Amino acid sequence: MDADDLLPRVAQGDQQAFEELYGLVSGPVYGLVQRVLRDRSQSEEVAQEVLLELWRTAARYDPRRGTALSWILTLAHRRAVDRVRSVRAAGERERRVAQRAEPPAFDQVAEEVEDSLEREWVRRCLERLTDLQHQAVTLAYYDGYTYREVARRLSVPLGTVKTRMRDGLLRLRDCLGAVA
Amino acid sequence: MRPRGGRLSRIREYAGGLRVGRGLHSLAVPYALDALDPAETRRFEGHLERCPRCTDEVRALAADTVRLARAASVPAPPDLRERILAAVRATEQEAPEPGPDAVRGPGQAPVPGARDGRSAPARGRAPVLVALAASAAVLAMVAAGLLAFALVRTDERLDEERAAAREIAHVLAAPDARAAEARDPRGRGLGVVASRERRQAVVTAAGLGGPPEGRAHQLWVTRAGAAPRSLGLVDGETPVVAHDLRTDAESLAVTVEPAGGSVRPTTAPVVQLALNSVGFGE
Repeated sequence: MDADDLLPRVAQGDQQAFEELYGLVSGPVYGLVQRVLRDRSQSEEVAQEVLLELWRTAARYDPRRGTALSWILTLAHRRAVDRVRSVRAAGERERRVAQRAEPPAFDQVAEEVEDSLEREWVRRCLERLTDLQHQAVTLAYYDGYTYREVARRLSVPLGTVKTRMRDGLLRLRDCLGAVA
Repeated sequence: MRPRGGRLSRIREYAGGLRVGRGLHSLAVPYALDALDPAETRRFEGHLERCPRCTDEVRALAADTVRLARAASVPAPPDLRERILAAVRATEQEAPEPGPDAVRGPGQAPVPGARDGRSAPARGRAPVLVALAASAAVLAMVAAGLLAFALVRTDERLDEERAAAREIAHVLAAPDARAAEARDPRGRGLGVVASRERRQAVVTAAGLGGPPEGRAHQLWVTRAGAAPRSLGLVDGETPVVAHDLRTDAESLAVTVEPAGGSVRPTTAPVVQLALNSVGFGE
């Protein structure tokens, strides 16, 4: 059973299917949220919110728009990004000061995280990107910056950032294609 | 005053986007990475509805970002599982959306005219509880009610509600969070999730009905040898978040007061709930 089979059953109120789905997605959801937020207790809060929302709104999933896992992780990512942005907005002043001293935070992949083939593969593929592609993609996706913020942080024009993001993702797609 | 080069090209890009979708189209990648600000997100989603090609592209890009997401996977904390599963048992689901949904899932801005999200929190159980002791199951049940309350809102108060949901989630996530609930035979009662460590609590009233004309329900926290402190007015089943609670707080109580509330309670409590089972009162 994968998430695509389980989610429609969850939408019908099947709690056992949810339990199975939880087993499949709680790690990716929690890991992604924590990757963006860093903070442990905030990550727990947001992950909790996402997983319960998943139960509540399972009926909104539309398979024509992508896989169940993609839908779930999109939800998790958005919630995490919303949170990190509101936290940052609250600390905007300090952030502006800190930002000058701080190098781009792109290289904080996987601290105490468990190893997995998938991660290893993605990591290797990320390494094959140019620096700018790598930073553009990871600052946006893993650190929750808007592309405008990424452009400012990397001191490159907006158009360049969008292009680097696109090239980076496409290159990643090629590289990962072998195990897709 | 003529705009200078950079701004001019941005304006051109913007205008071009509006005209032929090209400028907007370049936002597909930042959109897939959730790297647009809210205004741009709305603009791009408007565009998506009219651009099947973009929808295909966004779907393909979503498959890429899923790889990035999965690469970040770590095991969730073990206690999260029980908490969620118990909450799920007590949380009612949304019916399928009849109308057109937002473009890409539930993380969307609310759909205007969508289901009325203002129903009371669904608790999925009969109101027969009398002074339940704190336990994981009760915590989960109260938590589910609270979160469901906060999450069902899909109207213009969304941000406000989400802020409340965050506060609630914050209390719930406290390692020492505990819950208690009590109802009288008429179904009137109070539920609380509290953290002694954070000195916070989320309180919900149930079954009170509307206060008499010109009156209001006011929530108090009591402790021995001191006057009750007001925690504010109670509005239906909207959770009240209480901060800076004293650890020697003894109970919560609701009284009927003149509209606007009183400085001290002027009537006997309608409902009351002891706080000793949630770690307060020493």
